[in-house]
Amino acid sequence: MNLLVGLLIGLKEIRAHKFRSFLTMLGVILGVASLLSMFGLTAGMTKGMRDTLKSVGGVEQVRVVQKEVSQDLLPLRDVSPGRTLVDAMAIKKGSVLISHVSPEVNLGGATVSRGAHTARIPVVGATEDFLTVNIHEVAAGRFLSALDGERAQRVAVIGREVVRELWPEDPESNPLGQTVLINGRPFTVVGIFNFYEREADRRRREIARSEGRTPSKSTRDGWGMYRRKNQTVAIPLRTLFVEFKSGVLGPQNEDQGPDHRLTDLVLKVGDTDRFEEALSQVANILNFTHRGIDDFGFDTREDWFDRIESSARAARISGGLIASISLLVGGIGITNIMLASISERVREIGVRRAVGARQRDIFAQILVESTVIGFIGGLLGLAFSVVLLRLLVMISPAENAPFVEPGAVLISFGFAVVVGVVSGIYPAWRASTLDPIQALRYE
Amino acid sequence: MPLVSLQNVHKIYRIADQEIRALDGVSFELEAGEFAAITGPSGSGKSTLMHLLGCLDTPTTGRIVLDGIDVSQADSDRLSHIRNRKIGFVFQSFNLLPRLNVLQNVELPMIYSGVSARERHQRAAEAVELVGLSDRVQNRPLQLSGGQCQRVAIARALVNHPPILLADEPTGNLDSKTGADILALFHDLNRQGRTIILVTHDAQIAAHARFQIEIHDGRAATRRTPHPVS
Repeated sequence: MNLLVGLLIGLKEIRAHKFRSFLTMLGVILGVASLLSMFGLTAGMTKGMRDTLKSVGGVEQVRVVQKEVSQDLLPLRDVSPGRTLVDAMAIKKGSVLISHVSPEVNLGGATVSRGAHTARIPVVGATEDFLTVNIHEVAAGRFLSALDGERAQRVAVIGREVVRELWPEDPESNPLGQTVLINGRPFTVVGIFNFYEREADRRRREIARSEGRTPSKSTRDGWGMYRRKNQTVAIPLRTLFVEFKSGVLGPQNEDQGPDHRLTDLVLKVGDTDRFEEALSQVANILNFTHRGIDDFGFDTREDWFDRIESSARAARISGGLIASISLLVGGIGITNIMLASISERVREIGVRRAVGARQRDIFAQILVESTVIGFIGGLLGLAFSVVLLRLLVMISPAENAPFVEPGAVLISFGFAVVVGVVSGIYPAWRASTLDPIQALRYE
Repeated sequence: MPLVSLQNVHKIYRIADQEIRALDGVSFELEAGEFAAITGPSGSGKSTLMHLLGCLDTPTTGRIVLDGIDVSQADSDRLSHIRNRKIGFVFQSFNLLPRLNVLQNVELPMIYSGVSARERHQRAAEAVELVGLSDRVQNRPLQLSGGQCQRVAIARALVNHPPILLADEPTGNLDSKTGADILALFHDLNRQGRTIILVTHDAQIAAHARFQIEIHDGRAATRRTPHPVS
């Protein structure tokens, strides 16, 4: 008996019991659909996170971070000055592989006000490279210049969200030349940053505008990282040092003198192909400026991507496990029905054996039948998952919209076929080992 | 050389500690073209003998040779092959597959002997014609009468041209008129040169055969009928 004949027998059997076969397949259908939807969801989530990450700085961005020193260096910890402007200058001068250096100081919880309007917004002291390294763009006016820094000018470039909070009567205006108070000191607004938002939000907003509606609040605010970016208030780094860090009080209100430490030191690697080389170059320079104390580390976007990747993998595995269990249950359903249909067909098996079917012919016949159920169930499952994914696309945030990778389709479908094969093995074995004499006598 | 030859065949079943000698030294020979009947009361070992002749089982000891092949110690696959090529089964309850139509039922043995689809159709149609059911090829067994079902079963038994036709109570489920028709069909087939072995408990039916094999307590006695009913 060749495979084609077996296939035809299997198909005939399934056609003869359409409803029963459909019910049997249902487990596989739902299993495949949930497996594929789950793959789609995690893929969509990963993609959404990646896109967001890209918009706040690509892979070429490296953050020099503070690190706990090792135990044996602990007594020498204070020998190192920590991250200061000296580091920034040394890197700029010493490392040819680093194209941009952005030393930053955050004035956490600063009060920014205009007249009666006050906002608690972090203020960042920045240099010219801030724009490039952090992927900012100026929509109106200009960015901070080297001259602003040299003269410690009281100028500020502010984000759209800041404008909205301080000029609620005219949130979309560009209040260039106007004055805001930062911790009570007057600063002139010289530039406005772009409004940053997710691609999907931008589209939604434009649609809302073209239809003459006011966009919903959540659409205007943006979310998470975008929101924070829109709240930026940048002033010249030197101005920040002069105005706010020149005489810092200690815990007992004693004068500690000026505070030189940076809260952030962000670098942009010129050539990502020489990423590792650039990092070791920077490490060498910082070893020198930090007097040999290893109290710094690098936080790369690569690490972020890795983190996203590993959390996505965890989600995929746990979700996949749950979906697989439903597929397994579907497989048990197939086994069950096949066993039932065999006990219905004992006599048929006896007749087939009597006219010359070998044990392996019977085995193949049953196995083909369960495989066909798995196969068709898998196909229907794929079809069903199209519907399911449409539904999920509708309810999930646009940039996390689930999408299906070809690999996921292959895995889900392949798994369904494997389940079909495996769940047929035991019934096929039972059927093929029936004694033909007993089977022929069976009532 | 005889078509069928049994030499001192024993079949012993062990149920718990009990030894049941279903066949206890059976020997006989059957020439090609013979019309034979195996008779005996139930429990005599008649069915066991039929299963051995039909290659559904192997003897505990002794030798069975069918058409020159020693089947005494054959394994399951070999037995399947011999059943496929050498034996045509006709059962009391027809044993047609209810979901297949007449033609497909008749094709069944050929599926397991690797005959191409085209040839299967052709040979099945010929066999159906031989038993006089050419106008019912598309019918399902449930749409046929008992006699028609048995004719289909006979067509199925003939389709692979086996040397032996083994019929187990072929008229048991039929009324006497239809039964007589079926027996007449067997006679026709025998006249065309086919070897027929009837298994029956009915002496009247056995009387149709020229060669009588009577089983009693696992032993066989053979006898020729000079003038069989026909």
